[in-house]
Formats: sequence, C-alpha cells, structure tokens
Amino acid sequence: MPKIFFATDLHGSEVCWKKFLNAARFYGADVLICGGDMTGKAIVPIVSENGHFTYALGGEQQTVTADHVAEVEANVRRKGYYPLQMSVERLHELDQDPAKRAACFQEVMLEGVDRWMTLAADKLRGTGVRCFVSPGNDDEMQVDDVIRRAELVELAEGRLVEIEGFSMISTGWSNPTPWNTHREESEEKLAVRIDAMASQVPDPSRAIFNLHCPPFKSGLDEAPAIDADLRLLHGGRALRPVGSTAVREAIERRQPLISLHGHIHESKGAVKIGKTLSINPGSAYEEGMLMGAIIQLDPNKGIKSYQLVNG
Amino acid sequence: MAEGTMGTPASAARPALFLRNATGLVKAWSTFDAFVYSFWSVNLITLGLYGMSFAYTVPDGQLLAAILIFGVLTTFLVITYAMLVSVMPRTGGDYAWQSRVLGGGLGFVLSITGWWFTLFLWAPIYANILVVQFFSPLAYTLGWSSVATFFTSQNGIFVSCLIVLAFVAVVVTLGMETYARIQKVCFWIGLVGLGVVIVLLLFASQSDFQSAFNREATSIFGAPANAYQGTIDAASKTYSGQGFGYFAFGPILLLLPWLAFYLLWPNWGATLYGEVRGAKDIRKPFWSMFWGLWVTVALVAVVVLLIVKTMGWNFYQSANAAYWNNLFAVSGAAAPPVPIWPYPVMFAAWLVPSHLFQAVLIIVMGLWFFGWAGTLFLSSTRVIFAAAFDRVLPAWAASISSKRRVPYGSLVLMIVPSLVISAIYAYKPTFTSVFLDATAVLALTFFATVVAAIILPWRRKDLYDASPIARYNVGGVPLITIVGVITGLFLLFMLYEWSFNNSNLYGTSFQSTPNSVYYFVATYVVAVAIYVTARIVRSRQGIDLRRIHHEIPVE
Repeated sequence: MPKIFFATDLHGSEVCWKKFLNAARFYGADVLICGGDMTGKAIVPIVSENGHFTYALGGEQQTVTADHVAEVEANVRRKGYYPLQMSVERLHELDQDPAKRAACFQEVMLEGVDRWMTLAADKLRGTGVRCFVSPGNDDEMQVDDVIRRAELVELAEGRLVEIEGFSMISTGWSNPTPWNTHREESEEKLAVRIDAMASQVPDPSRAIFNLHCPPFKSGLDEAPAIDADLRLLHGGRALRPVGSTAVREAIERRQPLISLHGHIHESKGAVKIGKTLSINPGSAYEEGMLMGAIIQLDPNKGIKSYQLVNG
Repeated sequence: MAEGTMGTPASAARPALFLRNATGLVKAWSTFDAFVYSFWSVNLITLGLYGMSFAYTVPDGQLLAAILIFGVLTTFLVITYAMLVSVMPRTGGDYAWQSRVLGGGLGFVLSITGWWFTLFLWAPIYANILVVQFFSPLAYTLGWSSVATFFTSQNGIFVSCLIVLAFVAVVVTLGMETYARIQKVCFWIGLVGLGVVIVLLLFASQSDFQSAFNREATSIFGAPANAYQGTIDAASKTYSGQGFGYFAFGPILLLLPWLAFYLLWPNWGATLYGEVRGAKDIRKPFWSMFWGLWVTVALVAVVVLLIVKTMGWNFYQSANAAYWNNLFAVSGAAAPPVPIWPYPVMFAAWLVPSHLFQAVLIIVMGLWFFGWAGTLFLSSTRVIFAAAFDRVLPAWAASISSKRRVPYGSLVLMIVPSLVISAIYAYKPTFTSVFLDATAVLALTFFATVVAAIILPWRRKDLYDASPIARYNVGGVPLITIVGVITGLFLLFMLYEWSFNNSNLYGTSFQSTPNSVYYFVATYVVAVAIYVTARIVRSRQGIDLRRIHHEIPVE
C-alpha cells in the first residue's frame, strides 16, 4: 500500500526540493506529493562591478571576488531566493522598469523549475517512486508547461489520478488573498473547480483531496492578522482564519479519506473534519527545513498512520 | 509580476532585493505593538510590586542596584532569544529550538514541564495577586469588609482561582486578536493610572503620607492611632533592615532571584510570525524585548525612589515583612495594624481623602492585571498543540471547535489540572514552596534554550552559517555563544540559589522544602513517562517519533 510523503510551499528553496526528492528513500515513501508554491518570491542581485561582486542577503551589503560567487549563489538559493548576476546598468534597469522586472522574474522562475525537474529525473529514475506536483497560487501559469515536460514528475493540477487503489484530486488555486497572486478566484468559482474534480471520485473513503488552500476555520488556516497596507497587527501575534469556505464545504460534503493543504506556513497541524483527516505540514523553507507529512495508507483501514516531520 | 524593490543597504543607494507579489510577504509589525506585549510580560504592577514585596528578606540588599544589574544581565537573555529568532524564525519558541538543537525527547520534557505543568502553578499565583491587588483593597475601600475577608479565606482564594481560570478560558475563546485590542486599552488606561500614582507620590511629603496612612488605616481598617509607626513596630520583632543607601555587593546578588519573578520575562512569546523582508525586520524582536525590559526597569526605579521619598524605605520594607512574616507564621511575628498586603497603589491613593477616588484608582490599576493575565495559557496551548502534532500527545489534545475555534482539548488539559492545583493551593498551605518554585522551573526551561543557543553554531552549523548572525563573532567565537554563556551563568546562579540557599531565603531550598522537590521531580518523571509511552505506542502504530527532527540529507 502506498506510503505518501507530502510537502508544500517550498518557494524556490533548492535545499528543500533536494530534501523532498530524497524523502522517498529517507522515509521509505513510494509517492511524493508537492502541494504547490514551488517558485521563489525574490531575486537577489549579485552585481558585477570593478572585478568584484556585491550583494546583500538579510543584512549589510557585502563584496566578494568571482571565486566566491558560486558559494553566495548557493546560499541565496538555500533561502528560496533567486541569485542573479548582473551589471550595475541592468540593476538600475530592473529597478526602474516593472515590465522588465516581471519578465526577468518569469525567466529565472521557469529556469528554476526546469532545473528542479532535471534534479527529480536524476534522483528518481529507476526508483519506481511517483512524484506529483500541483503548482500553487504563487506559481505562474507557465510553470505547468515546464512540469508537463518533466520526465518523472507528474502534473496533478485539475485532474483525478489513481494511486494504487486510491484516487487523488488536486488544485493549487486559492480564495482571494491580499497579494493578488496568480491562481486566485472567488469562493464560488473555487467551489465549482473543486466540485468538477470531486464529482469524478469513485469512492470518497479512498480519496485524497490535495487542495493547496486549507479549509476555513480549521486551525490549519491561521495567518498573522495584517492591515490593508500588509502590515502585521498587534506585534504579529494575532492570528486570524483565512482558509477557504469552498474547500471546507467540499471536505464536509464529500468526506474524503484525507485532505492535504499548505498555503499558510504558520498553521502546521492535523485535524479531523468529520471523517476526513486534514493536514497542513507547514513550511519553513527559508530555514532550509522541509516540513512534511508521512502518510501510510492501508487497503482496509484507509489511513494506517500519519506523522508530521521536520526533515 | 514583479512588484517592488526593497532592502537598500545603508552603504549604497541600490536595491538589494527584487520582490514579486507572493502570499505571506508582509511588512513588519510596528515595534511599538511588540513592545507593548513585552512590556506587559515584565509587568511592573501585577508581577513587579508583588515580587518586590519579598525584598525585605534580603535586608542588606540595595534594591535599585539589584534592579539595574538584573536589567543588564537580562539584556543578554534578550540578545540570545533575538538571535535564536533570527536563525529559526518560523519555528520559534522554546519547544522548537530545544527540540531541533538538543533533540526531540529532551525538548519535549523541558518544554512540557516549563510551559505546561508549571503553568498550573501560575493560576493560583495570579489568583493570589488578584486578591491582594484588586478584590481585597477594593472591597475594603468600598467598606465591604466581609467580601474582603472572604477573599482571604481558603474558599475565597479558591473562588479567586476559579475567576482567573474562567477569565483565561474566555480570553482563549475570544482569540488573541480580540484580546490584543483589550490589552491596548488596558495599557493606556493603566499607564494613566500609573502616572497618577507617580504624581501623588512625587508631590506628597513623607509627613503627608504618614498622616494619610494613619487616617485611612483607622477609617478603613479600624486601626489604632499612628498605624504608620505601628506597622514598623509590628515588623521589628522579625525584621531589621539597612537604610536604602546601604550598599554591599553580596546581598544585591541575593535579590536577583526575587526580581526574576517579574523581570525575567521580556522574551515571553519570543516568536516571529509572517514572512519579514530581511535582517532589519528581524531586529524588531530584539528592540521590542529590550525596550519592554528597560522601560520597566526605568519605571520601577522611579517607583522605588518615590516609595523611598514619600513612604519611607524602612516603612515599606517593614510593612512587607510584617504582612508576610505574620502570614507565614514566622516565629515572633506580630500582626500589622493594616492587615492586608501592602499595595503601594492603595497607599498612594490614600493621599487623596476620598474613598471613591481610591476605589477608582485601584480599579484602573487592576487593568495591569486584566491586560496581562489572559495570556496565562497562551504558551501552554501552543506547546500542547506542537506535542500533539508531533504525535507525542493524542490528536484530541489539539482539537478545536469548528464554530468559535476554541482549543478545547488543550484548555481541558490546562484547566482541569489547574483546578486540582488551585484546590491544593487554597486548602493545603504546606505546599506553599511548590508555588514559590514556579519561577525557577521556567528559568530552567530558559536555561535549556540558552544551552541550545550556545551550541547552535556547531550542532546546527548549516542553519547558523546561513543566518544573518553568522557574521557576529568576538575573537573567532560566535557572539550567540558568548551571550549565551553569560546568560547561562546568570540563570545558573539563580537556579543554584533557589535550590540550595542555606537560609532557605526563597522558600524553595531543597533541604528545607521536600514537597517542592517531590512535586517537581514528579513533573519531570511524568514528562519522561509521557514521552516514553508515546514512543512505544506510536512505534506499534508504525510511527517512529525519533525521526520527527531527523534532517533529510540534501545531496
């Protein structure tokens, strides 16, 4: 019976992606599921100037020689950012021109995903491990094409897939967020999207709902309260539920065996919604830590065991 | 979809980072908001005045110097915690830091004892503070002496415990966002109240105070004439202290464990939420904790100096000595003419000959209690949730109701044992030392976190090297290790004094308080038993708890 390893919200952290691929062997899993938000949020310019390179990563500006640039790039990738070597002129160009900056972002993100797909092929070839990815609301639509072309990674978005007698539906779309990201829609539209897949599920008691956005008021959806200016309220200590009512309704109505979520990094947890075990393993990608869930399925019991881990 | 640039280093007018629109990227909180939380943690009135009322036990100790030294040493604790936040921001908190650096089992045992089992004790401690700072002085002032007397009885103390537990449960049900709003209102009104107290003490002379004290002691308590001198006389049987200006280094150090009762907590809840945008934002936890600590240190210095000026140091110490020694039935102790805890706020209010004004000031200053006490179980709830998600505790421990999001599982796990402990507190006075140890066990939990910080650069080299603090070294030694060692020595000194002080100064020495030793050994044994049981049970279910924090190889 399949042993699943689920992780989500890696946000460009190459360390986490490599750990994700190695998790199959480390935990003895035969199915890997990445729940979305693969791509990074920031580019760190490494500026070439007078034979040196300058950059700033979480602090003061630093200058290194060409010999150390590879090390700096690795460190930047570890945090989930994209390192990009550029001239001073290119830096100012990107700073001034939002369109060029957007194009640059797309280029580095797709390059990054492509590199990850190659890493997956190298790592998983011959292992028999199935690896599913469903891009999340932070991932641009073009990411899907890169995954479709991948040799050993299956795009799970928007479809029903069979996993050794269990069925899985997936979507990375979320309800609206203050950041106006790439895959957001109203609760009504999200409900239609989920329902279109869920209605194809032959047996909900053997179904996995891999829905990036967690269910509303589930305890898996508690994010720091912010104001309209995206400023954290009350010293960052006040949490508020931001999950999806459509996701909650789908779980309550269909009662799948298990639902897998991400999106809200702070809200790690595993809760029961009716008969459904809902899991959000959380994310600490910027620390290079892969938070994940190991789920051992059983033909009779459904879920034999589950465990949240910080790998 | 690039949306902005930021992070311009001071040395160059160029962007350090290009950001795109992505979920979770937020602007940092206002440092002031975080400061308010930290300021509440080292609560000057609720915890501070209560803790300092034991300073008489070190009669040669110079309190002001001790407060300043404590502030300096606790600053190292603040730096240590701020550095840990910067290394592991997402997974912040003692449980996570200890588990990831020291190991899951040790992290569980130390955190569960510190943040779960020990907080049972704080419910009756808070209840006692509520009685002595709110119910009792308010009832006496309003002439409801039977109500005041009830709250000093065993049943009254237990009822007060129930009120505290009910209040905490309501706050947990309301959620932190609602409570944070209440806290802010309490903060501002409480500050106004403190300002009134300061003004009253500043502009009154000692003879004004003596007259006021004598007048109200007779009016409210029926005390004989010159209750001021009567208080000093009552204490003189068991207390003899030096003047405020007396200075000797040794006794100052002995005051530090008493001050820990309120000044050791600026790092309370030192976690970081949201995804901040660089080191500048990560500095905010440091500054919020730092100012929370030092504004309190400054205010307490002002309050102490005003007490010395207006009430008289000998009187204040004598009033505390007379109250506590009589309560603890110290041999030779005499009952003071004013038979309640010497609440400086009430004494200051007596400078205005109006019971209505006095009652209002006591109510206003009570907001220092109600603005803070609601967070009593906040950390416990988080630790219980974390342990349940790690499968060490059963899943129901992390259950929440779907409608109001009430964490009923963890609430039950906190409130039911707290009820039992509260009953013991109210009806079994021989267990007093157990409650006095509540500070020490939390200090031990902090100590474990500090040890984790000291060894972090070697134990979790990957995390440390990638963090913004990796560049801070002194003579090649990581700064976090240096500040951690200083903090650790500070905590060790206090732990030693709490545990082994020859004179049982703090009422917690092992040789004199077997109940305390039994209780705390039992809590650690129970914590170990829970972990071992969980390991065995989960192993049978195919779950290996050891792998929770095992790092997956990268290559």
